[in-house]
Amino acid sequence: MEATTLADQLLVRIAEEHDHASAKVTVVGVGQVGMAAAFALMTQGVVSELALVDVVADKLRGEMMDLQHGQAFLRTVKVVASTDYAVSKGSKICIVTAGARQKEGESRLELVQRNVEIFKFVIPNLMKYSPNCILVIVSNPVDVLTHVAWKLSGLPQNKVIGSGTMLDSSRFRFLISERLKIAPQSCHGYIIGEHGDSSVAIWSAVNVAGTRLQDICPQIGTSSDPENWEQIHKDVINSAYEIIKLKGYTSWAIGIMVSALCNAILKNQKFVYTLSTLAKDYHGIKEEVFLSLPVVVGENGVIAVFNQKLSEDELEKIKQSAKTLNGVISGVKM
Amino acid sequence: MASLAEKLLLHIADEGHHSSAKVTVVGTGQVGMAAAFSMMTQGIISELALVDMVESKLKGEMMDLQHGQAFLRTVKVVASTDYAVSKGSKICVVTAGARQNEGETRLQLVQKNVQIFKHIIPNLVKHSPNCILVIVSNPVDILTYIAWKLSGLPRNRVIGSGTMLDSSRFRFQISERLHIAPQSCHGYVIGEHGDSSVAVWSGVNVAGTRLRDILPNIGEKEDPENWEQIHKDVINGAYEIIKLKGYTSWAIGIMVSTLCNAILKNQRTVYALSTLATGYHGITDEVFLSLPVVVGENGITSIFNQMLSESEAAKVLASAKTLHEVIKGIQL
Repeated sequence: MEATTLADQLLVRIAEEHDHASAKVTVVGVGQVGMAAAFALMTQGVVSELALVDVVADKLRGEMMDLQHGQAFLRTVKVVASTDYAVSKGSKICIVTAGARQKEGESRLELVQRNVEIFKFVIPNLMKYSPNCILVIVSNPVDVLTHVAWKLSGLPQNKVIGSGTMLDSSRFRFLISERLKIAPQSCHGYIIGEHGDSSVAIWSAVNVAGTRLQDICPQIGTSSDPENWEQIHKDVINSAYEIIKLKGYTSWAIGIMVSALCNAILKNQKFVYTLSTLAKDYHGIKEEVFLSLPVVVGENGVIAVFNQKLSEDELEKIKQSAKTLNGVISGVKM
Repeated sequence: MASLAEKLLLHIADEGHHSSAKVTVVGTGQVGMAAAFSMMTQGIISELALVDMVESKLKGEMMDLQHGQAFLRTVKVVASTDYAVSKGSKICVVTAGARQNEGETRLQLVQKNVQIFKHIIPNLVKHSPNCILVIVSNPVDILTYIAWKLSGLPRNRVIGSGTMLDSSRFRFQISERLHIAPQSCHGYVIGEHGDSSVAVWSGVNVAGTRLRDILPNIGEKEDPENWEQIHKDVINGAYEIIKLKGYTSWAIGIMVSTLCNAILKNQRTVYALSTLATGYHGITDEVFLSLPVVVGENGITSIFNQMLSESEAAKVLASAKTLHEVIKGIQL
């Protein structure tokens, strides 16, 4: 007679345990950004299963164990980790934070080409195990890499999303809130275009309680603005550099942002965020490029794009962004 | 001339400055920042203050937290090397402290940390005289005792993280064997947080059914299923994670956040935490070690008179004696 274990004696099984995860998210890259995103997804109870993928097995296992050991205090989330992409099977969302960092003296195109080689490995592997997933690209330069991910994945454009200027817009709203002394959630404003030095702050859209700041201060954001609100936009562009100088890297804000985006997708929330998407045919853009526009995001990814009214100056800047990005993408060897 | 802000908003009452749920974290290393981030993403506080010695790191961490706020419930985040920034805290979490050097004795490490605490603790109490101190720095039982002595606070308001995390790891490991959620597996690791912690196998239960009633020698040498391996894995847990990723952060971060939530919301949850253990299980020395306690807004308000087996009680008593030996040697 076979001895039954304690577990067998304690519980009488009456049905199959399922392995299906209704809200599974994979994070590729367990550096500061990837882990901050993973931790935010766990503490906010957004996912039912989290898979971590990277190339270093030890670090992966350590991070997995560290997350698992907190689970008695959270809603149970299954955490798995492997260098083998099979662990990502069945993901609703795959977040890519992996990628090379810019070396001293390296041109943007050289950096992009290095990351294209990495993506040629990462993207097809993710698609193999989660053919219906939504890809969220965070690695920089994000607009170009989102475009590359779209090409490599074969997914429809609505299912490939770049984090783009979602964080820029959040920093923008935070800085506006500091000046007005109200909550960031109540200050509405959008930064669009290329995520980087040439992003475009849409001052005409900045509003609180439906009141456009531009109606009170017509030169807001221009060089003749006596209150120099454009300094806020400059501070947003410099934020990442400044935080990197102070603490070595950025992690928490982008982590929270990724968690908020995943929540919007998984719960089909239909929030409006500025995200990197295929921008051809908007604002007179003729090139096939990805850059950030305000979009509606839900469980089918980007489901609508806002046709924002831009000033002539803003239109010019966006078109210039598109030209620059097209220049980079044309030079990429896929 | 009126600014845009003045034209936009008509102020009709003073903006309050009182923070109903302010927490200070001392030490912005991996543990301190994981705890801070956890409290922010779980929305349990209204204000967070960070204190450390390096200004640039402090400012960078503060900005990084602030930049995510449009996606969270607004939390005021402040940071400074000056303890005045901690004023009015309901809870002060101390994660700062020296790490053990190669070849250094436990007593030497403790003495180094006592010097650090002599600066930190009085400064925290000066600016938040009614706060609850949560000590995380290691060796936690001894440093919680030190913090109690240096603070002048009543013993219920000085809490050490102790074996709260060990117990959580313990429950996680049990849940893996039973294939059910950790939250539904109940068990405590008590005593000293470290190699000589005590797994109370006699109390481990699921749905009120003690595992010991099914398997009488559970956790002992003769146990055919070797459940004691779980306890060994808990003790080694931290060392293993440090070997793999360099440090531990996420689990302790969530644990601190959970503890702060229990305090701020006066939850009266039961956790294994480091507290003054004199009078329990035959302990006569003045030591802090972990016992299951009830925690709420007045800190630790009750201690469980847990039923222990003879061998479990003996182990706890031995823990207490070891800790007392170390405490005796400290120059306060």
